[in-house]
Amino acid sequence: MLEELEFGFPILSILLFLPLLGAIGLWTLRDTDLIKKTALGVALFELALAVLLLLRFIPESAAMQFSERLNWIPALGISYHLAVDGISILFVGLSAFITVLIILYSWDTVQDRAKAYFMSILALETTIMGIFVSIDLILFFVFWELMLVPSYFLIKLWGVGEEKHYAALKYVLYTLLGSVFMLVGFALLSLNYHDVTNMYSFDLLDLLKVPVPVSDQLLIFWFIFMGLAFKAPVFPFHTWLPDALVQGPIGMSVVLAGVKLGTYGFLRFSFPLLPEASTNATVVVIVMSLALAAIVWGAIIAIMQPDFRRLLVFSSISHLGFVVLGLFALNFQGLQGSLLQMINLGFTTAGLFFLAGFLYDRLGNTLLDNCGGIASKMPLLATFFLIIGMASIGLPGTNGFIGEFLILLGAFQAHWVYGAVAVSGVIFAAAYFLWYYERAIFGPIGEHVPQALKDLTQRETIIAVSLCVMIFWIGLYPSPFLRMVNGSVQAVMDRLDHGSIASIEQDRMLLSHAVALEPEGQDRAMAIRNPQSAIRAPLNPEGRTE
Amino acid sequence: MTFDLTLSGSDLLLLAPEIFLTIWLCVVLAVDFTFKQIDHENLAYLSVGGVIATLINLIWFDYTGVQGALFKDMFVLDGVAIFFKILVLISTALVLLASIDYVKSFKFFKGEYYFLVMMSALGMMFMASAQDLLSVFVTLEFSTFGFYVLVAYLREDQKSSEAGLKFFILGVFAAGLLAYGISLVYGETGTLVFSEMASAPGSIGLAIGFIMIFAALGFKIGAVPFHSWIPDTYQGAPTPVTAFLSIAPKGAALAILIRMFYVALATFKPTWVLLFVVASILSMTYGNIVAIAQKNIKRLLAYSGIAQIGNVMIGLAAGTKRGSDAILFYLLTYLFANLGAFAVVIGVSNLIKSDEIEDYNGLNRRSPFLAAAMLLFLLSLAGVPPLAGFIGKLYIFVAAIEQELYTLLIVGLINIVISMYYYLVVVKKMYINEPHDPTPLSVSTPLKTVIFVGIAGTLLLGIYPKPFIDWAVDATLMFSNITAPTASDPAILTSLAGG
Repeated sequence: MLEELEFGFPILSILLFLPLLGAIGLWTLRDTDLIKKTALGVALFELALAVLLLLRFIPESAAMQFSERLNWIPALGISYHLAVDGISILFVGLSAFITVLIILYSWDTVQDRAKAYFMSILALETTIMGIFVSIDLILFFVFWELMLVPSYFLIKLWGVGEEKHYAALKYVLYTLLGSVFMLVGFALLSLNYHDVTNMYSFDLLDLLKVPVPVSDQLLIFWFIFMGLAFKAPVFPFHTWLPDALVQGPIGMSVVLAGVKLGTYGFLRFSFPLLPEASTNATVVVIVMSLALAAIVWGAIIAIMQPDFRRLLVFSSISHLGFVVLGLFALNFQGLQGSLLQMINLGFTTAGLFFLAGFLYDRLGNTLLDNCGGIASKMPLLATFFLIIGMASIGLPGTNGFIGEFLILLGAFQAHWVYGAVAVSGVIFAAAYFLWYYERAIFGPIGEHVPQALKDLTQRETIIAVSLCVMIFWIGLYPSPFLRMVNGSVQAVMDRLDHGSIASIEQDRMLLSHAVALEPEGQDRAMAIRNPQSAIRAPLNPEGRTE
Repeated sequence: MTFDLTLSGSDLLLLAPEIFLTIWLCVVLAVDFTFKQIDHENLAYLSVGGVIATLINLIWFDYTGVQGALFKDMFVLDGVAIFFKILVLISTALVLLASIDYVKSFKFFKGEYYFLVMMSALGMMFMASAQDLLSVFVTLEFSTFGFYVLVAYLREDQKSSEAGLKFFILGVFAAGLLAYGISLVYGETGTLVFSEMASAPGSIGLAIGFIMIFAALGFKIGAVPFHSWIPDTYQGAPTPVTAFLSIAPKGAALAILIRMFYVALATFKPTWVLLFVVASILSMTYGNIVAIAQKNIKRLLAYSGIAQIGNVMIGLAAGTKRGSDAILFYLLTYLFANLGAFAVVIGVSNLIKSDEIEDYNGLNRRSPFLAAAMLLFLLSLAGVPPLAGFIGKLYIFVAAIEQELYTLLIVGLINIVISMYYYLVVVKKMYINEPHDPTPLSVSTPLKTVIFVGIAGTLLLGIYPKPFIDWAVDATLMFSNITAPTASDPAILTSLAGG
């Protein structure tokens, strides 16, 4: 994963800043209709760029692709370094896709301060893109923190619950608390790099070249774990999640539930940089226990929820438990399944939040008391509800099945107990979804269901259909997606298997091999960036002072 | 000890900025006396022009590398001195601009106001150059006298008089401590020059003397436990003076602190590091916790300033070259964010005559510009990336990690979370609450200029900090040999993991 490919065109920078520029552009507009159209236009263009990125991405490769690098703060070794690899590529596409859907969803549902709302959504997209395309740790951290600003305003200004102010503050402070610890972890990594090379660097690719002493890895691991666990959120750091998801607007819930930033961080930083700590038996047992607790506890709590949005929150915690379980199974299937499942949740959990939003717009809330027998009035909604819900509980043929199957496979390989407990989560998931579905959608028409209940509008149907397309595509033909992630997942796996020191030696050998093969290596428009620089020796000309 | 006061032309060149500013402030005073009917706004622009000319002079010195020492090392012009002089002058220019509307509400002595502000600035420029305990005392008092008058400028306002009195009594007390400390140090070492003290052996007298000097300087920078004057004085003083107090004297006093501890006391580093660790932890924690309960925005910024000084002292606690770079850069970021925030406060109080946080309700509806600017400044103060404050905090924390100051680090990090809370409370009031009175607020051009400079500085230092960090690194080159960084020792992390 040390190899870097350049694209010759700063596509990642454009992806990163386009939504922000769009948000600034919106500021100058006055007409609400024009604002919506511009926001949608920007989001669609961003999606088109993301699709282009996916098409040009070289699958089955562990290389960092579309790399761009500029010095930012050389005194501390911080650079503006963007690149995507198999771990992050799908997230870029997912974020662009979800943003389009959110803008479509908000078209009529957000009336109050529409301009500021669409500006916040686009600004949020920039920060999320930034998280996925940054491979400099500080740059990553910048976007990680910056994401709090639009999120805070989204929850606070357009939240639907009574407690939205409390929820917004809680979300910001909890995440901040975790991330300051993460920052210490990052600084310690950089300091370790400094001990060996006498230079500072926060560049992931630099840090990967220097092994971290095994004794220090555990400490750094837990520091970074704090940041990721709060954001993910891993049980028991999840207490902000119910507040934020229930009180916030649907758009924000979709992002928080659909884009799995925290667990992405494990694959991106913890595993490759700290392989010995990540495979440490104590760490694995602790994290796996948390994951299993989340799966079972989340699902059981979900069964008891009378409010659909709260049910989704706890199902989301339960699903996240699966993702963490797959990650810390520490084998290829587990990692691959987790990565795919993170993407899947962006379609299924997020999709269910959209459906909750549709219901909310019609009924004024999503309480079970107000539902009942809706199927006869809204057949379309009932159908999509069933499809997305089935995908969420992992019915074969849908994307959820592929992800959960791979995760369970990985978990059973790690230890049968993990697999056995996790399977119970699948059963609970079927229980809470089907039971809720039966009571809310089928059966006699509820007392509080309004007489005039419109079925899905055209706009809403587009959202639901596009989600279903993705669900079935990944469910029936997952190989293009898996091919994209395989190379990088294998690279992470190699580092986990061989430990950091052996991996670094191996990387050096592979790189010198790549140098020899350079002419063939020039695939498409990309070229290996000056291979010598990839194994930059401590003698760095760029004045990185100690 | 004899003084040789023969000066050559090239020696005087080193004093050129101070000499020029002295002449200029006399000119401003003379113009005020001579042309009675002159508009005071023009007087302000005249003053700002002089300050900017001095600033250009200093930047030119920095660029061409003019350096040297005068009067047996009592006055020194080096990288650190130039840096802090520029810091003081930028804040002076911004404060002068921000004062224009405020001064209009004064009944008399409008012209003298500008004179006094520049006078204090002159004193602080000398402070930045002080390299000798005698000049420390003289310059410190010189700059403080201007402030005694400025703080009590609103004669009709009881709060202002109270603030002036509190500031005066405690200030004089601090001056007494300083003089006593200096005499003890002189008695022990037989010298007043920092560089000559470096070789003195440690003794109880020396320690007590330096602790007294530290207390006096701690009073200037508002570090806990010498902070008690800050909230009342900040609240009572005219808001532009509060803004000035919140940055310029702190910067100048830090210049002296850095020099004194890095040069005179370099050999006793292990001892004074502890002093700064304690002062830093107390300042951060006290400042942030008490800030939560504040109802007045000036008091809130006062306490947040105490906490920020706690952050700055992390750099002193590190006691390395990098620590000093970090302090310099941090002060730059603090200058823009803090002055910007005060400029917004001035703008609001000019229009609604109130500094209560309650009255910031719905500011976004009344003036989106002021609200957005305030949001930016508060986020920078809280250290949200990619604004200036984040880079400043990051830099200073890296300096602390290098020196294994983990307790300090953890306290500092937790404090960031606490501070976020009260900054967000203000943000909430501005953006969420409904205004009591929805009339739009308009901001005058000079004040707008100050706010725009603040915004530009906050963004630039955050997004493209390289030239400024380079500047800070160059300015402190003379501290390169203070203590060899111990970070090359891989045992750091090991010992950390162990305990």
